[in-house]
Amino acid sequence: MFDWVHGVPILSLICFLPLAGALVVMFALRDPATIRRFAFGVALIDFLLSLPLWFTFDAQGPLFQFKEGLDWIPSIGVRYEMGIDGIALLLVLLTTLLGTLAFLSSWSAIREREKEYYTFLLLLQTGMLGVFCALDFFLFYVFWEVMLVPMYFLIGIWGGPRRLYASIKFFLYTLVGSVLMLLGILALYFWNGRGLFGWTGAGNPLSFSIEQFHRIGPSIPADLQFWIFLAFFVGFAIKVPMFPFHTWLPDAHVEAPTAGSVILAGVLLKMGTYGFVRFSLPILPEATRRLVPWMIGLSVIAILYGALCAMAQRDMKKLVAYSSVSHLGFVTLGIFALNGPGLSGGVLQMINHGLSTGALFLLVGVLYERRHTRQIADFGGLSAVMPRYATIFLIITLASIGVPTLNGFVGEFTILIGAFSRSWLWAIAATLGIVLGAAYMLWMFQRVFFGPVSHEENRKLPDLSGRELVYLLPIVALCFWIGLYPKPFFRILEKPVAFLVENAERAAPVANPDAVLGR
Amino acid sequence: MPFPSAISLRDVALIGPELLLGAAGLLLLVAGAIGKGLTQKDAARVAGFSLALGAAVLFEVRSVVGAIPARLFGGSLVLDGYAFFWQLLALASVGLVVLMSSRGLESIASRASEYFALLLIATSALMLMVAALDLLTLWIALETMALSSYILAGIFTRERRSNEAAIKYFVLGALSSAILLYGISLLYGATGTLTLEGLAGAMPAALTQGSRLAPLGGLLVAAGLFFKIAAAPFHFWVPDVYVGAPTPITAFLASASKLASFAVLGRVFLVAFGGVQVEWQPVIAGVAVVSMIWGNVGALTQSNVKRLLAYSSIAHAGYLLIGVLAASETGLWAAMFYAAAYAFMTIGAFSVVALWSRGTYAAESCSDYAGLGRRSPYLAASMLIFLIGLTGIPPTGGFFGKVFLFAAAVEAGWTWVAVVGVLTSALSLYFYFRIVVFLYFTPAAEPATGGETSSAPAISAASIGIGLCAALTLALGIFPGPLIDLIKQSLLAMR
Repeated sequence: MFDWVHGVPILSLICFLPLAGALVVMFALRDPATIRRFAFGVALIDFLLSLPLWFTFDAQGPLFQFKEGLDWIPSIGVRYEMGIDGIALLLVLLTTLLGTLAFLSSWSAIREREKEYYTFLLLLQTGMLGVFCALDFFLFYVFWEVMLVPMYFLIGIWGGPRRLYASIKFFLYTLVGSVLMLLGILALYFWNGRGLFGWTGAGNPLSFSIEQFHRIGPSIPADLQFWIFLAFFVGFAIKVPMFPFHTWLPDAHVEAPTAGSVILAGVLLKMGTYGFVRFSLPILPEATRRLVPWMIGLSVIAILYGALCAMAQRDMKKLVAYSSVSHLGFVTLGIFALNGPGLSGGVLQMINHGLSTGALFLLVGVLYERRHTRQIADFGGLSAVMPRYATIFLIITLASIGVPTLNGFVGEFTILIGAFSRSWLWAIAATLGIVLGAAYMLWMFQRVFFGPVSHEENRKLPDLSGRELVYLLPIVALCFWIGLYPKPFFRILEKPVAFLVENAERAAPVANPDAVLGR
Repeated sequence: MPFPSAISLRDVALIGPELLLGAAGLLLLVAGAIGKGLTQKDAARVAGFSLALGAAVLFEVRSVVGAIPARLFGGSLVLDGYAFFWQLLALASVGLVVLMSSRGLESIASRASEYFALLLIATSALMLMVAALDLLTLWIALETMALSSYILAGIFTRERRSNEAAIKYFVLGALSSAILLYGISLLYGATGTLTLEGLAGAMPAALTQGSRLAPLGGLLVAAGLFFKIAAAPFHFWVPDVYVGAPTPITAFLASASKLASFAVLGRVFLVAFGGVQVEWQPVIAGVAVVSMIWGNVGALTQSNVKRLLAYSSIAHAGYLLIGVLAASETGLWAAMFYAAAYAFMTIGAFSVVALWSRGTYAAESCSDYAGLGRRSPYLAASMLIFLIGLTGIPPTGGFFGKVFLFAAAVEAGWTWVAVVGVLTSALSLYFYFRIVVFLYFTPAAEPATGGETSSAPAISAASIGIGLCAALTLALGIFPGPLIDLIKQSLLAMR
């Protein structure tokens, strides 16, 4: 049988199909209805193209698969290199899936300047897929920055009342982070070559290859590792966002149109945590180990602080936004536990959060389209009016809280195992976050859906339409799948996680590991 | 100083492009004075044709000279790859300026040939400047260029702002030229030579002997050149002159004139002062950092687009200086790459301003661009590309240029300068994208009356120029390889 998946540059196809679609929308199409259908068609084909990756990815095979490589700027050693490991595979699938659903959700929500809207949405898709597929650090960085522009426009043109402020804040924050990350990349690049600032380098030919950096990473001197880690940290932590850098998130989330929020929460935030597992951990193990207490501290603060903030919100979208801060805190907690369960749980929780929070934003969007308000106080008793909507909302709420049989439970539980085996203190703090999470989610659910119908205008709200069901049900199905049978996911993550754990333990031993790890 | 006993014919032939442009300029001047003179269109055509011919001859000269640098006129000029690159860039920039001059000069229609003549003479001087290998030749070329620019800045004789620009530019420019000349004389006093290579040999000795003349002369020369490239704190003339001058001339000052002066600065520092870089690196670092901060912070509060771009050009002088600061191969080619990308972005941005302004000074406020994305999508998209590029976001040439410059700084150990550079770049997003807000987010203030894009004709010379700039900005951002290779090749033969 012709192995067409390995025979064609599948990753490039997946990555650049949306770009091609965007060009067609930009230059060739005029009619809004055609643009809508065409853009959705492109996203759907992209998703279907990415499905074979799941079936043909060899969990026991080499770490990076579906590799492609071309010279891009040979004079400075920049290559066009693509390839994915299990982690990136899951994120690519999440991106194409959520992208498709986001297109479908915009169908009726976006009724002005549709041509530009779908152009930007498609460009965004290319940028995000490129980030996850790139195996060259420079290429990664290009995608990482390119993606900011369409997101800026999505928030700025189709956003809510404070969209100008929110869009530039989002852009500025992430740009500051990424330019500092660039300096870190450059330091790495020169150290891989001749060396810099008096540190003798590895003496390799100049290259930005991520695999090359994985090889030389652990031999980088500890103090240089520290500085590079810091540079990366600013970039990734702002993106995640981790605790002190999170203030752009509620603004961006609240003002963005539904599709924007879905992609922002579902995919963009994962780029930060992906950065940690792809770069910080394997390339800078020494610095990572030394900074674990700080990272864990920030994660725990994010978990609790995000949850407390979420509890105080009156706007549903803002509540979900703060819940993201809390959930991403779990992810970083798992990642920086630096052990098997923590890491695989953290990565799986990235997917879970993408699904459940993406779905929550979609659901809030559904309600907003009908009532043009997101205030919790404007609703009440909706379960009688919109039973189907209420059911799906409940399932997603429970998934987000982490109730067994749903995906959130699997992720959070695994993270807790990882955290517990490091320190019971962290685990307890994190558990408190879960309790708070249940509190604010259920409280919101209660206020919106139970009791008598408090507002007359809510009495006639139509239940979910067929199109809305089409984009919500796949997520519900996936939540159950991961909740009931997560084994295929863990199997795919096995190898990359083993690589990360092994790398984290490599390099020079810390003088007193117990002191560092807080045991 | 050795003077050539006789001027060889070969030398004269090899400065063919410069002579050609100078002659074309003089011819235009004469033609403009005879009878009714030339129309704006005809004068522009003559100028454009001369530039194209100049470029063709330049390539011919390059192929005759080959890879080994040719010294002309007893070593006062050198035709090496470095000079070739900057000459080509100057020709391209002025060509784009000529394209954008197809509009907005209606009020001086009768003197159009004068305008293009001065532009050609300035170009000729620019090309000599970047090839100059001794300080006097350099100064004379620089002055020729500057004198033409003073007149061009004030060519709208009935506009008070144009007059103001010309006077300010002239007074401060003359002062800086005097400082430069004084510096040159001090250097001559200290070392007894005016050639850059002679200085390279004499400077280390002069410094070790504790000469005070040599460093003072060097500093004054540097100050004069900082003025010409509009680096802070020698930038006070920039905002007013950039705003007052006709927009195409502003583009000329911000691109060709600034970049050729930068090329001179690079040659002076890296060749003449090459042996004593430890002495001047802190100075360059300081000026670069002050320019980046002052330019970008100054631009934050501007609502006039030309003034905003003026401050941004101060900041970009700072970024360019990083290339000299690094004093390395990487730094040099990074700066050259950046210069090319910057020229296209800046000229493009000013072209949009020129095209969109209906009268002479219209469309200068950011709010004049409200709704441009609707009314004229291609114009707005081009402006977006230029602004993205000036900020330094991929996929544009500006991104790669900045990355290369910061890489050079990191490699040379000037990380703190690179940190200032990246942070100010991020800051610049704020004001560049304020224009974007008007382009795309704000609906037009007054309803577009009837014919939507009545103000911008479908295809004009200026829109071709804008399209070229946008295409080049993107091309450099997606495939920077060819230009890098070209620059690296041209540098191989420099030393």
